[in-house]
Amino acid sequence: MNRAPGRTMAETVIDVGERPIRAVHEDIQKAAKAGERMVLRNTLSRHNLGVGLPPGCELHAEGSVGYYCGGLNTGARITVERNAGWGCGEAMSAGHITVGGYAGMSVGAAMLGGLIHVRGDCGPRAGVAMKGGTIVVEGKLGYQSGFMAHGGKIIALGGAGPSCADALWQGEVWVCGDVEDLGVDAVITEPSAEQVAEVEAILDPLGLSDRSRAWRRIVAGERLWYFQSRDAKAWLMI
Amino acid sequence: MCGIAGRILGAPGPVGRDLVALMAAQEHRGADSTGFAVYSTPRENGYIVRAMGFDRSRMGQDLNDFRAILRNNGADVIEEPSWDNSRSQHYLARMIVSDPVDMAAWVAEADEIAARLEMQSVGRSLEIIKDVGGANAVADKHGIREMTGTHGLGHARLATESDVRPNASHPFWARPFPDVAIVHNGQITDYYTWREKLERKGYRFLTWNDSELIAVWVSDRMKQGLSMEEALTRSIHEIDGVFTYMIATPSAIGFAKDRFAMKPLVLIDQNGAIAAGTEEQAVRRVYNDDGIDVINHDGPSLHGIWTVGNQRVAA
Repeated sequence: MNRAPGRTMAETVIDVGERPIRAVHEDIQKAAKAGERMVLRNTLSRHNLGVGLPPGCELHAEGSVGYYCGGLNTGARITVERNAGWGCGEAMSAGHITVGGYAGMSVGAAMLGGLIHVRGDCGPRAGVAMKGGTIVVEGKLGYQSGFMAHGGKIIALGGAGPSCADALWQGEVWVCGDVEDLGVDAVITEPSAEQVAEVEAILDPLGLSDRSRAWRRIVAGERLWYFQSRDAKAWLMI
Repeated sequence: MCGIAGRILGAPGPVGRDLVALMAAQEHRGADSTGFAVYSTPRENGYIVRAMGFDRSRMGQDLNDFRAILRNNGADVIEEPSWDNSRSQHYLARMIVSDPVDMAAWVAEADEIAARLEMQSVGRSLEIIKDVGGANAVADKHGIREMTGTHGLGHARLATESDVRPNASHPFWARPFPDVAIVHNGQITDYYTWREKLERKGYRFLTWNDSELIAVWVSDRMKQGLSMEEALTRSIHEIDGVFTYMIATPSAIGFAKDRFAMKPLVLIDQNGAIAAGTEEQAVRRVYNDDGIDVINHDGPSLHGIWTVGNQRVAA
């Protein structure tokens, strides 16, 4: 662990390499408690980096990371320079994760809140069972993205692969570009001006807003719903 | 869960060393057993036999019986057996034999003593070495790092639906097809259906492992006249389950992924030299340079063939 001088916010450089991941975590936790910005070097696509970080933390991973990076995030700002493996941001409740390249299978799985921004494409089942929050993908969504999403928004600027939004519940999948085909019970709706404005407001701070886009808003066709009540919010209160 | 790996070198070299690195990085995916399939430059005649004996105290008798069966089939040992010197009850033997008159007939007869001595691989080029334990332990015991060749496969096994035994480890040889080996991550849900169909055709299975079945399934399709690419494509549509497997021959490694995209595969291609694995962190142990991009084969219904010395991906 080396301290880089001359920064406004103290910065800690943590070498990952082939060290035991527990030792890496101890360094991360120590720096997080000290309020230092963390830079992970020599990441070697190792798993579980930056899991469970509290609000206010800043972590930057040089290179690529493995599975579950930023999982259980409760408010940290995480940036990954290149690719992220499976389950990036899984079950996060708040915070902001940016992946510079490709995000593997199940990015944002079961997330409750916060924002994940993928600058490249993403793998299958992005946002599987997500309950809230937003996933923005500048590239293309992988196979079966939005599978069983209970809430939140997935926004893709580069189209979507097969079986898009399969078995979606209360989530929404917004796609610019081609959708290869829709999953079970997924339907494309015409978004209202207010709904488009809401999406563009999410994209604005990311520098991605473009009012001329043609959106496909994909939601549940409700044929798979088994509720007595049509008001799913009642169920969300349980 | 399981972890799999494939490696093709640009030129013959330390493929065993690289396979150990690929599998050591994936040991957490399956600590039950580890195995390697190493392909060296093919012999012009004679076969390399790797066999597993289950009672070291009977080794002499079992190897003699094996040799007698070989002679019954018009062949003989041309390089005397060697074996590991560990204290385990089971042992792995290596020998080189001359060509039997009929490969399938010899393998069938040799399999009659498989409860004592089981052939793990037969090939001009292929050698399968597998055992219980992690990558480094198996490599230390069997000298994997010192093995040279052109390409190979690796596997870390988390046993799910069959025993934890040395011979139930991967890779599997596509019995009785020389030089064909497989590693697989997944589960085949119509295993018994296919096993019965293949057994009716005369194939024998020595374990209850579904990976052994896929190796024979693909090889049988190729025997019927399909190309490797056609056989891989058919497997995606005809075999039920979730899987990513790699199957190797002396000239190529092919892969196939199921229709549901449940099992990962990542790849680094450096001018035809290939490092492939279940996890990116494994291929980074071979190419530790973040400037080199990985290819993520995350999608459904994918297949590809990497030919030795001339990489090609069909997806």
